[in-house]
Amino acid sequence: MTHFMAMVLFSLLVSVAFAALSSDHQTTPERVKYGLKVFAYFVGVGLIIAWVLYFLPL
Amino acid sequence: MYSEEFSEHRVVTPRPAPMARTIAATVASFIIPGLGHLLLGKVIRGAIIGGVIIVMFILGFAMEGHLYKPDPNEWLTWFFSFLDAGMGLPYLVAAIADWGVRITPEQASKVTFEYGNTFLCVAGALNILAAMDAYDIGIGRKS
Repeated sequence: MTHFMAMVLFSLLVSVAFAALSSDHQTTPERVKYGLKVFAYFVGVGLIIAWVLYFLPL
Repeated sequence: MYSEEFSEHRVVTPRPAPMARTIAATVASFIIPGLGHLLLGKVIRGAIIGGVIIVMFILGFAMEGHLYKPDPNEWLTWFFSFLDAGMGLPYLVAAIADWGVRITPEQASKVTFEYGNTFLCVAGALNILAAMDAYDIGIGRKS
């Protein structure tokens, strides 16, 4: 399993749980939309942090 | 004249469950993830939440992660143990039987070792949220 696969898998599972547990979104389409948004944020922010770390002399 | 019947924004207050059922549902969430929601009649939500948490727990072990036990000399282990313990009964059984608690050098050298630990901790944290959600549904704070 690659780092990227692990991140996507983690993002997928957590965003599904967040969508199901959300109290601000009542209907199924609202929950699906929220879950997709959380998933996109997880993967997007993860990739941004990865590229920032790539250029840092660590 | 205002009529509630034709209002588009009618607020429907969720009906609370009996307190005994609410407590049973909250405790059940710590026995099997998602069971609390099933007891409150939220079958689909319970199946989704329980499925996600159980899959994360299994994947955590598949990625060579391990469960934490509190160590008085390392305060950070208390925090991770608290998250792991959020799984409830599965954590308790594993901790007592010493399954997945000890770390071998080969295990720690695996690339996915820290991912596994993260999956296990987050599974526990999500289960705590799920139990709180079941309680909120039970007392009628959420639908």
